[in-house]
Amino acid sequence: MSTPDPKTVPIRDLLPDYREQLPEVAARFARIRERPVILSIRGLEKSYGHGDARTVVLDRLSFEVRRREFLSVVGPSGCGKSTLIRIIAGLDEATGGEVLLDGQRVEGPGPDRGMVFQGYTLFPWLTVKGNVMFGLKLRGKSKKAADREAFQWLDLVNLEEFADAYPHELSGGMKQRVAIARALANEPRILIMDEPFGALDAQTRAQMQSYLLQIWKSVDVTILFITHDLEEAAYLSDRVLVMGANPGRIVELIENPVPRPRRREQFISRPFLSLKRRLAELIHADGAAEELKLPLTMRPCAEDSVE
Amino acid sequence: MRLGVTDRMSVSGNKPAATRDWLGLKKELPRRRRYLLTLSSFLLPLALWSLVSYVPWLWHPLVRVTSPGEVEAFSTGVEVPRADFERENRDALAQHFEPAQGFRVNPPYLPPPHAVGRAFFSAFRTPPRLPDEPWLYQSLGHSIRTIFWGFLLSSLIGVPLGVLGGAYRFFARLQEPFLEFFRYLPAPAFAALCVAVLGIYDAPKIAIIFIGTFFQQVLVISNTVRRVDPALVEAAQTLGARGWPLLRGVIIPGSITGIYTDMRILLGWAWTYLIVAEVVGTMSGITYFINQQARYRNFPNVYAAIAMIGIIGLGIDFVLAWIGNRAFPWQRTSRRAGRLLALSQPAPASHYRVGAVPMFRRGAVRR
Repeated sequence: MSTPDPKTVPIRDLLPDYREQLPEVAARFARIRERPVILSIRGLEKSYGHGDARTVVLDRLSFEVRRREFLSVVGPSGCGKSTLIRIIAGLDEATGGEVLLDGQRVEGPGPDRGMVFQGYTLFPWLTVKGNVMFGLKLRGKSKKAADREAFQWLDLVNLEEFADAYPHELSGGMKQRVAIARALANEPRILIMDEPFGALDAQTRAQMQSYLLQIWKSVDVTILFITHDLEEAAYLSDRVLVMGANPGRIVELIENPVPRPRRREQFISRPFLSLKRRLAELIHADGAAEELKLPLTMRPCAEDSVE
Repeated sequence: MRLGVTDRMSVSGNKPAATRDWLGLKKELPRRRRYLLTLSSFLLPLALWSLVSYVPWLWHPLVRVTSPGEVEAFSTGVEVPRADFERENRDALAQHFEPAQGFRVNPPYLPPPHAVGRAFFSAFRTPPRLPDEPWLYQSLGHSIRTIFWGFLLSSLIGVPLGVLGGAYRFFARLQEPFLEFFRYLPAPAFAALCVAVLGIYDAPKIAIIFIGTFFQQVLVISNTVRRVDPALVEAAQTLGARGWPLLRGVIIPGSITGIYTDMRILLGWAWTYLIVAEVVGTMSGITYFINQQARYRNFPNVYAAIAMIGIIGLGIDFVLAWIGNRAFPWQRTSRRAGRLLALSQPAPASHYRVGAVPMFRRGAVRR
């Protein structure tokens, strides 16, 4: 038996199993597992209607997020990832199960769960600083203290000099940075981000991802990150929660084998590619990304063959 | 040198491009053209009016007799239909009488622009004919006072109710069915009732303006408040806002520019109720002035007074838009509702952004 010629073997067959972890990665996960649980989802269920007309959006989801963990949620569209985080944020109500934050059952929205939305939800009538101070003032801080703290948070996202600008004067990436500062100023136990960079162009998005990693490193915060971008999930997170559709359910909770600190060069490293391949398999297997053939016949004038 | 295809196109395409610019679909025009068009929108009707007034063969259906000659039916200064004038003169000539002389004029109810223009100033200086009649400025003042009180009372109750109705389903369900019913009742229908209850002086007039404004106001403002972006409300909730802070911190500021615009439009409606209100009980204000002048057949004054209502209304709106622009720096309110104001606008918000580097309001940058 001869060994196969490496030039003809498809790259994916050369990739290690996504469950293989380098010693330092394994050690890191061991440490994470020792940390206290911040968020605990138990048998979460969401459905509409009754009897035959009943549609199940979320089918008994259970998972845990530990302190300072970065958990990404990916899944095909319609798998209920947005519903899941809206329930965790308290903006929607579950029809069954419970959400525990530090062991306490959550009811309704609250400042302990910060949220960054995909759309720009800065208050247009407030300046950048006013937006960041919004939560601080609600917590009864004096104007002076709120002002000082707001500047610290703006400094963190490197927007201090834009403190007096109005949101309409900012670019999309800047707006999201303000939104992150605004959410973090409340010092939430968990930061929930719903496709926060989805509306940004590729370059700004890459920049924002690296910003987010830096922020996460310097602030004691746990992040729950929704995305449909598999590379984004693999680049940012500790663990990736893969959801399936119809009904929305957990397909797999994957420990990310890519070592930290993360760099963009890792996008073509073996662990990164093996994780990405697994994610793609899981999501495509769900049928959402099936290639659709258009019922086209070639137009007579389209002479050139492009394939 | 040979011109490239694109060069040729731009050279030959110059002229059509310029015409297109005037009629670009949903495209803003350059400032000078905006000025020109705004001016034209007033000048065109004025030109039409001038044509009919000063070009005798266009209309001028009457003849003013300058000397009656020997026509018995005529006397100097009377205005008679052209057909009658010609018939009488034909008869006179047939009987070898001296024919009447005259020139063609428009009917008195269509005074020429210069007469109305003169009336704008003379009406203020002309003392009233009867000793107890008000001067024009007093009439106008009376009208403005009536509007002011009617609109103020309506707003004091209507705006809070509207905000509550927009923010809470509870209040919406409680008040809106009745308001929807009531707003179909025409305010003038309450005239007799208002007089019976409130007397004949200013109170029933203010009540009519109130009735005409209030019910619309609550519904319109509720609707505006309901349109506050729900994402902003949710964002505020995740920041810990609920109850009164949520209402005061997000729902009210989120709808304030809309409410402001609503108020400007509603104030316009209040003006239309003014004329009805002023004939209730004892006639008063600008309506009284117009009526008296029409009775004296002083039509230039009538037109001048009517135009003054428009000028005052537009002037108030102008001032309100100007205030709105300064009160809500994050949004250019009058861009939505602006009419004449399009001229005095600063550049739209999108002009402030040059590439990714934002430009600031004066002095906003902190270093």
